[in-house]
Amino acid sequence: MNTPAIDITNLSKTYGPTGAPAVDDVSLAIQPGTVFGFLGPNGAGKTTTIKIAAGLLTATSGGVRLNGFDVRTRRAAAMSQLGAVLEGSRNVYWTLSAWQNLVYFGRLKGMRKAAARSRAADLLTELDLWDRRHEKVGGFSRGMQQKVAIAAALVADPPVVLLDEPTLGLDVAATRTVKNWIATLSADQGKTILLTTHQLDMVEELCDRVAVIRDGRVIADQPTTELLSRFRRRDTYEIRVEGGPDQLPLLPGGFTAVRDGDGTTITGDVADPQQVYALVDRLRERRVVLRSLTQVQPGLEDVFMTLMKEPRHV
Amino acid sequence: MSDIAAASWREALPGKTPAILAAEIRKGLATQLAHPLGHVISLVVGMTMYLGLQFVLGQGELRADLLPPTLVAIGAYWFLQYSALVMVSDLVEEKRSGTFAQSLMSPAPPWTLMTGRLLTASIFGLTVAAAASVVPAVVAGVSIPWEPAAIVPYLLLLANVLAFTYALAAIAIRSAMVGALQSLFTALILLLNGAFLPLSLYPGWLATVARFLPTTLGIEAVNKALFGKLTLAQLWTTGALPWLIAHTAALTVLGGVLFVRNHRRAVRDGHLGQYQ
Repeated sequence: MNTPAIDITNLSKTYGPTGAPAVDDVSLAIQPGTVFGFLGPNGAGKTTTIKIAAGLLTATSGGVRLNGFDVRTRRAAAMSQLGAVLEGSRNVYWTLSAWQNLVYFGRLKGMRKAAARSRAADLLTELDLWDRRHEKVGGFSRGMQQKVAIAAALVADPPVVLLDEPTLGLDVAATRTVKNWIATLSADQGKTILLTTHQLDMVEELCDRVAVIRDGRVIADQPTTELLSRFRRRDTYEIRVEGGPDQLPLLPGGFTAVRDGDGTTITGDVADPQQVYALVDRLRERRVVLRSLTQVQPGLEDVFMTLMKEPRHV
Repeated sequence: MSDIAAASWREALPGKTPAILAAEIRKGLATQLAHPLGHVISLVVGMTMYLGLQFVLGQGELRADLLPPTLVAIGAYWFLQYSALVMVSDLVEEKRSGTFAQSLMSPAPPWTLMTGRLLTASIFGLTVAAAASVVPAVVAGVSIPWEPAAIVPYLLLLANVLAFTYALAAIAIRSAMVGALQSLFTALILLLNGAFLPLSLYPGWLATVARFLPTTLGIEAVNKALFGKLTLAQLWTTGALPWLIAHTAALTVLGGVLFVRNHRRAVRDGHLGQYQ
């Protein structure tokens, strides 16, 4: 196994002498090239963890290493590994142009002027911003501003990228652009990405591995596929029929019926598929016309909601 | 600062500090010059008010005996005003927008970035101060004599202002309320540092209070060299230079201590990136 690109070890953070821990004994080992989804409700500890990893906050105990460099004791080397887009921030100077921003942040990371300019040109071309490179970022659309923010985080070509709610406030098209870019960064450039977002469909699509944090503690940390399959012990079926619910036979336990336009949708969580077949037989006996029968797989959103209701476990 | 933190900075980008400083200065100046008209209007209004006030105080004329000493003071005021704009107002705005946090994710230590801000403040502040002093002098037809002995107190005057704005910037790391403090001090300094009347015309107690404010001791020392023709040795023996050095050193220590303390607390409490 490689040295983890992001190695979080027994990380705890308590604000003030009497406060509850914002992060409580969190350990995560994120391998190079991974897109890692870090999920949790608001106030769960995601941003605190990211701020500690970015060197903006000290931990009460434990630590974070970026490609083997401790953020606290080898800060300069650790920061050279890192690019970040932080939640709720502009992240770039709106009074400066996209070009000025990228060159500035490149220089701040220690790049030579020529290298920073070359990299800025590549990124701005890739983002279709080259023709507007000398315009002030404040005049850009929200999506374009976020593109510049992500480009600024990437200008020094860091191997580790922290993206805290990178699609917050973006429209559908801009979200898709950011999503595609994240996929490219990992697949084509081998970057390690720690992504927090409330858009769970994006996490499901992009992330190789997912951790869920609640009340400062990690309650799940698994590859995305394993996490999803863990919640497939029972299968959900959806049967759509014509006509209203009044024509239906008495439904067995676990099934519910809801009117759906001019038809009805019957949903049920069952351990044994035979229960579904039996129900279909009974519908046929009552001459109810079947429109569709679908096995519904639990999505990450279902998994997340289930985890939020469950007692703590790993 | 802990030994660990100190050790972690020692490896920071050896040899790249000048380039980072240059980038910080270029960014700072570009940010300020993004809206140049605001500065021009501010300067024109300020210079007009200054000349108008001198005209009133001179009972209908710009008096050659009163105006030159106040030109040094008004220049020092503008230097402080624009240094504070870069060091404090920009910092508060950057903390609010999150760009301060972004810049701190540089391998460069935070004091390198703060030094870059100080240099930006010096360049921008000096340019504005020169305009604010020279234009009224030309309009009023007065000249400021050249005295080599004034160079040292003038440099100390600049250091005095920068140390003060550094202390304000250190407060800005923790609190956005620094804006009120900044406004209070700049107003007091404009009223009491001799920009309107030479300090010698103030009541004794008020002159003493004024000398505790930034710029006042520096302006006095510069004026004594320029207009009193005192040498450096005489500035020393009259106490003008030792008091100026002591005041500047005290402000520098205050700024340094506040910066280290507030930076450490901000990193501990999570205020480094944005205000909470």
